[in-house]
Amino acid sequence: MSQTQPDHESTVGKPPPTPLWVKVFGVILIVVVLLIGIMLISGGEHGPGRHMPSTQHSTEHP
Amino acid sequence: MIMSPGLRKFALIVHLTVSVGWIGAVIAYLALVIAAMNSADDQMVRTALTAMKLIGWYAIIPLALASLVTGLIMALGTKWGLFRHYWVIFSLVLTIIAVGILLEHMHPASFLAGVTAEAHNGGRLREALPSELLHAGVGLLVLMVVQVLNVYKPRGVTPYGWRKQQEQRTTSPAGDSVT
Repeated sequence: MSQTQPDHESTVGKPPPTPLWVKVFGVILIVVVLLIGIMLISGGEHGPGRHMPSTQHSTEHP
Repeated sequence: MIMSPGLRKFALIVHLTVSVGWIGAVIAYLALVIAAMNSADDQMVRTALTAMKLIGWYAIIPLALASLVTGLIMALGTKWGLFRHYWVIFSLVLTIIAVGILLEHMHPASFLAGVTAEAHNGGRLREALPSELLHAGVGLLVLMVVQVLNVYKPRGVTPYGWRKQQEQRTTSPAGDSVT
């Protein structure tokens, strides 16, 4: 790890402003979480089972 | 509770080992997915899926849970804290998301491997492989982001962390250092 001690920021009376990278990461994270939520809700059955035919018919050839 | 230097180093070794092990196991999983996707042999596909199931349940899931737990211990046991620095919060949230998707995904993945015992048509099984590639690939990407955050530790103190720093300054004016 390149940095072994926490950074101590701004000793003035109010907290330091939120860094830009935090805002960018936050927006990306919210979008990703929303996308995952929408996929889970709209997709119904999720995972490989959704992408393949029923196993009961797996021995049948088309 | 702040850990002693010796205990902190031991916890760090454990945390690094399981975290890097988690990444390695996902890479092994991806290698099997890619090998299965590029193979024309149905037996190869079934074998790869069985191996993926074993890696998932006996390597990826235990290492992921261990990484999450040891990460929490490292945060709470050092002065970095859990909610004092933005990079720690992002690492925690991303790890929780990765573990959640992993656990959600492994059930159908295990089901898929069970199907191989009775499936005779490898083409049908191959239809599921792109999903496996997507899940493992995105998972690996998330883990790499967490790793970068943990190494670079970008600056950024939360309002809570800032208040704690102010409290520490008033109680110990000589300053303190992380052990």
